[in-house]
Amino acid sequence: MRESKVVALLKKYDFSFFAIALIIFSIGLINLYSAVHSSTKIELSNLYMMQLFWFSFSIVIGLVVSFIHPKLFFRLSYLAYAVNILLLLLVLFLGHQGMGAQRWLVVGAIRMQPSEFMKISVVLALARWFIRSNPDSELGIKNLFIPFLIAFVPALLIIAEPDLGTGLLILLVFFVMAFYRRLRWKSIFVVAIIGLLSGSLLYKFGLKRYQQQRIYTFLNPAADSKGMGYNAIQSKIAIGSGQFFGKGILKSSQASLNYLPENHTDFVFSVFNEEHGFFGSVILIALYLALFFRFIWLATSVPKFFNALVAIGLMSIFFWHTLINMGMVMGLLPIVGLPLPLMSYGGSSLLTFCVCCGMATSISNSRNIF
Amino acid sequence: MFDEEELVILHRRRAFIIGNYILILFAIIFARLWFLQIYQGNELYQYSLRNRLRKEVVKAPRGMVFSRNNQMLVHNSPRLDVVLTPQYLKNREETLAKLAIILDMSVGEIKRIIRKKIKQAKYHPIIIKKNVSRKEVAIIETEYSKMPGVTVNTFISREYEDQDIGAHMLGYISEISQSQLPKYRKRDRYNYNLGDFIGQAGLEEELDFKLRGEDGHEFVEVDAMGRKKRHIRNNNLFAGITSMAAQPGYNIRLSIDRDLQHVAYQALDGKVGSAVAVDVESGEILAMVSRPSYNPSQFSRGISMKYWNSLINDKNLPLTDKSIQSHYAPGSTFKVITALAALEEGVIDRQTKVKCQGGLRLGRRMFHCWKRYGHGELDVVGAIRESCDVFFYKLATKLSIDKLAHYAKLFGLGDKTGIKLPREVSGLIPTREWKKKRTGKPWGAGETLLCAIGQSYVLTTPLQLAMAFSAVANGGRLFKPQYVKEIFDNSGNIIERGTKELVSKVSIKPEHLDLVRQGLFEVVNARKGTAWWFRGRGISMAGKTGTAQVISMSADKLFAKCEDNPYSLRNHGAFVAYAPHKNPKIAVSVYVEHGCHGSTAAAPVARNIVTAYMKKYFPEEVERNWLKQKIRDNKIMALEEKRKRERERAKQDREQEQVQDREQEREQGEGTTKR
Repeated sequence: MRESKVVALLKKYDFSFFAIALIIFSIGLINLYSAVHSSTKIELSNLYMMQLFWFSFSIVIGLVVSFIHPKLFFRLSYLAYAVNILLLLLVLFLGHQGMGAQRWLVVGAIRMQPSEFMKISVVLALARWFIRSNPDSELGIKNLFIPFLIAFVPALLIIAEPDLGTGLLILLVFFVMAFYRRLRWKSIFVVAIIGLLSGSLLYKFGLKRYQQQRIYTFLNPAADSKGMGYNAIQSKIAIGSGQFFGKGILKSSQASLNYLPENHTDFVFSVFNEEHGFFGSVILIALYLALFFRFIWLATSVPKFFNALVAIGLMSIFFWHTLINMGMVMGLLPIVGLPLPLMSYGGSSLLTFCVCCGMATSISNSRNIF
Repeated sequence: MFDEEELVILHRRRAFIIGNYILILFAIIFARLWFLQIYQGNELYQYSLRNRLRKEVVKAPRGMVFSRNNQMLVHNSPRLDVVLTPQYLKNREETLAKLAIILDMSVGEIKRIIRKKIKQAKYHPIIIKKNVSRKEVAIIETEYSKMPGVTVNTFISREYEDQDIGAHMLGYISEISQSQLPKYRKRDRYNYNLGDFIGQAGLEEELDFKLRGEDGHEFVEVDAMGRKKRHIRNNNLFAGITSMAAQPGYNIRLSIDRDLQHVAYQALDGKVGSAVAVDVESGEILAMVSRPSYNPSQFSRGISMKYWNSLINDKNLPLTDKSIQSHYAPGSTFKVITALAALEEGVIDRQTKVKCQGGLRLGRRMFHCWKRYGHGELDVVGAIRESCDVFFYKLATKLSIDKLAHYAKLFGLGDKTGIKLPREVSGLIPTREWKKKRTGKPWGAGETLLCAIGQSYVLTTPLQLAMAFSAVANGGRLFKPQYVKEIFDNSGNIIERGTKELVSKVSIKPEHLDLVRQGLFEVVNARKGTAWWFRGRGISMAGKTGTAQVISMSADKLFAKCEDNPYSLRNHGAFVAYAPHKNPKIAVSVYVEHGCHGSTAAAPVARNIVTAYMKKYFPEEVERNWLKQKIRDNKIMALEEKRKRERERAKQDREQEQVQDREQEREQGEGTTKR
C-alpha cells in the first residue's frame, strides 16, 4: 500500500527539470576537471570535488523546494523580497570583501551572496505585482512604474556592490516578464529607450573604474592596459582552435598554459569549446535550449497566471546567464563576470539554479500532485 | 475575478514570441561559433599551438628635468639587459652554462635568480643581468640560435647629470613596492602596475603624475623560441588590435640655478647640513642642497645591496633632505624675531639700551651670555650685531612666550612652508598651551628666555629660515617656496607655469624692519659684527649667525673651546643671510650640524653662494662694491693701524719714561755715592 503510494507519487513527479540540469552539470564537472587538473595551485586542482559537493547540497535543497506548494511562493514573495533587500543593504555596509567587491555576507561559517537569491525574489515579487491588475489589459507606462522600481532598486544595490552583471541581469529579467505580462508595444519602445538612457548614465556615473574599463575594453580591446582585452583575445583563440570536433578532452592548451586566467568560472565555455569543438557546443546549447523551452512550455500549461509568470521569470534568469556568458567569452559582449549556469564553478550560483529548477518542478507538480 | 485558465491561453502568443527571440539570439551565438571555429578555426588553431601573440607594454619615457637656464639635470638613457624566458628554454644546463661564460657569472648565480621568480608564469621573461656591455650583446646575438629562450632587452634607466649634487630635491625612482601599489592605484587616470618605476623621493615623487606619461602597448608575435618576430599592427584575425603609442611624460624646468647648486654643494664639502638659496622677490628656490648626499642614478640602475646598506646605516642620514626634513634649534638667528616682537610690542625702541655683564640672573638660575665678561651697553642694532644674549634675555622677561610665538608664526616658522616636496616637517614654535598639552607642566619663565635666543623647544627647518629672512628683506612679504618654473611637453607647449604665491603680508612697521636690517647689515659689515671675518669681497650681505647648543652645558663647558668636545656634543652652526643689503635679491640659509659656530662653519658657505650669485647676475654691482669695500676696509684698517700705532707709541713713551726715570734714579744714586 505504502509502496504503491510512493510509486504513484514518483509517476506523477516531474523529473524533466532536474534531469536536464543533471546532464548539463555532469558535462560541466568533467569540463571543470579538464580546466583545472593541470593547475599548479592545489586549491584549484581540487576544485571539481568542491563543485560536486556543492551540487549535491544544492540538489537536495532543490528537491525540498519542489515539494513546497506554489501558493507558499505567492504568500512569501513580498516578504522574501523585503528580507533580501535588507540583506543587500547589509552587504553594502558590512559585507565581506572578495576580489575588490563586497558580495558576500558572512554568518558564522556560511558565506552568503544575497544578490544570487535576489534574482529569485525579484521574479516572485514581480509576478505577484503583475497579477494585481487584470492580466487581460495591456500595460501602459504608468502601470510599469512600480514593477520597474521593484527590479531597479535591488539592481542598483547590486551594481553598487559592485556586481554589474547581476544588476543588469535583474533589469533584463524584468523586461522579459513585463513583456510576457502583455506590454503595450509603445511601452516596449519607451522601456527600451529608458533602458538605454539609464544604461549610459549608469556607465558615466554609477560604475566603478574597472567596470568602465571592461566595457571600454570590449568596445576597443586595443586600448586597455590591464590585460582585459588580452583575456578576450585568448578566449577567442581557445574557442576558435577547437574547430569542428575539438582537441579532445584534457587537451586544451590555452587553459592548461594559463592563458585563460579564470578558466574555472567565467571562461568554462571557452575551455569546453576548445576541447569539444563546434560539435560539442551544439549539443550543449541544445541542452540549454531544451531547458528553456521546458520552462516556456510549463508557463503555457499551468492554470494559474502567477505560476506562469514565475516560470517565465525563472527561465529568463537561466536564459540571460547563458546568453551573456557565451556572448562575452566569444567577444560579442563585454566581460561582466556572469557564470554559465550549472557549468561554472561556484556554490551560490549552483544553489540558485537548483532552487529555480525546484520551483519549476513544484509548479509543474501542483497540477497533479498537491 | 477573472478566469485564469483563459488568460494563460491568451498569453501563449507571448510565450511563443519569447521562444522565437531565444532562438534568434542563439542563432547569433551559433553563427559566431561557426565563424570562430569553422571559418577562422584553422588559423586560430595554429595560433593556439604556438600562442605567438604577446602583448607588450611600451614604457612611456619619463619627463626630463632642466635647470633654470635650461641645462639638463635629469634624463633617460637606454640600457641593455639579458633576459631569459623559461617557457622557451631548451637543454637547460647547456644554455645556462654558455650564458654564464658570456656574462661572466656562475651557473649557480643564474639558477638562483631563476629560482627567485619560480612562482610567476613561465612565459614571463626574467632579467638575468642588467646593464650588459655592447660586446656581451654581440656575443649573445651570434649565439642566438643555440640558446633558445635568451634574449636582450632594452631598458631605460634614469640618469642624474650631477649625480650626488642636489639629489634630495630631485629624488630618485625605483620599482613600486607591493605596499605602495594599492595607494597609487587609487589615483585616477594613471595605471600603476607591479614592475613600474615611480618617484620615491623629492620632486620625482611629488610630480610623478606629470613626469610619468602614459604607457602604451603593442602586440608582438614571438617565434617558438620566444624571440620577437614582428609587431602586429593590423590583423584581420583580431579586429581592433592596434598598438597604442606611449605618451611621454612632461618635462620640468626648475628655478634651480645649476651653477649655484654646485657652489653650494662644494661649499658644504666635508660638512653635514644643508644650504638653501631663494629668490627674495618670488620665493623661487635657486639652490637647495643637503649633505651627505646619495647618487640617485644608482637607484634606477638597480641599486646594489652594499650601496643601499651604506646609505641606511649612515648616522648622518644621507637620504634625509636636511633643508626640509630635519628641524633644528635656530639659535641666534631667531633673535631677529625676538627683536621685531619687542619693537612691535613697544617693549623697546631704538634708543633702549641694556647693559650686558655676561649674564642675567632670573630667580636662582644664571643665564649666561656667550661672551663671558659681557658686551657692555648695547642698543638693539648693537645687540643684533654682536648677538648679545643678555639683551634678548631682558626682552624676553618683558614678552610672553605666546607673543613671541605669534611673531614667529607670522614669519612662517614652525609651520610647513608648503613646498611641493614630500615629507616636509613643520618644526616647532612652543606656546603655553602646547607645553601644557605635551608635558602637562606649566610654562616656566626661564624657558621664554631660552626660546628668545632660539634654543630650548624652538625648532625650524633651514628652508623656513630662508623664507623668514627673505620676508624680512623684502619688507614683510612671506612667499611660498617654489621650484617649478614651467612644465612643458615634448613639443615645447607649456602645460603649467609656476606662479609666485604670497602666503601672507606680515604687518610690521617699516621703521622697525629697517632697524633690524641695519643690525643684520652690521653683523657682516661692522668691525664688531659676529660675521665680520666672513664678509666676502664685492657683496653687501646682511645676515645673522646662530649657534645652537646640542645639550645644555655648565658654565665651564659653555666657555670651553667647542672644537675640543666630541663630535656629537659640538654646537650646530647656522647662518642666514640676504644680499644685497639695499634692494635684496637673494636669501640664503645655511645650517651645519655640529659645526661649532655659525660664523666659522656656516657663514663662509653662505658667502660663497651669495658671491657666486651676485657675480653671475649682477657683475657690475660686485665690481662697484668691491671698490667701495676696499676703500672702506682700508679706512677701517688705517684707523686700526693708527690706533695700534698710537697705542704702541704710548707704550714706548711709557717705557721710555720709565727708563728715563730709572736713569735719573741711578744718576741720583751715583751722585749720592759720589758724594
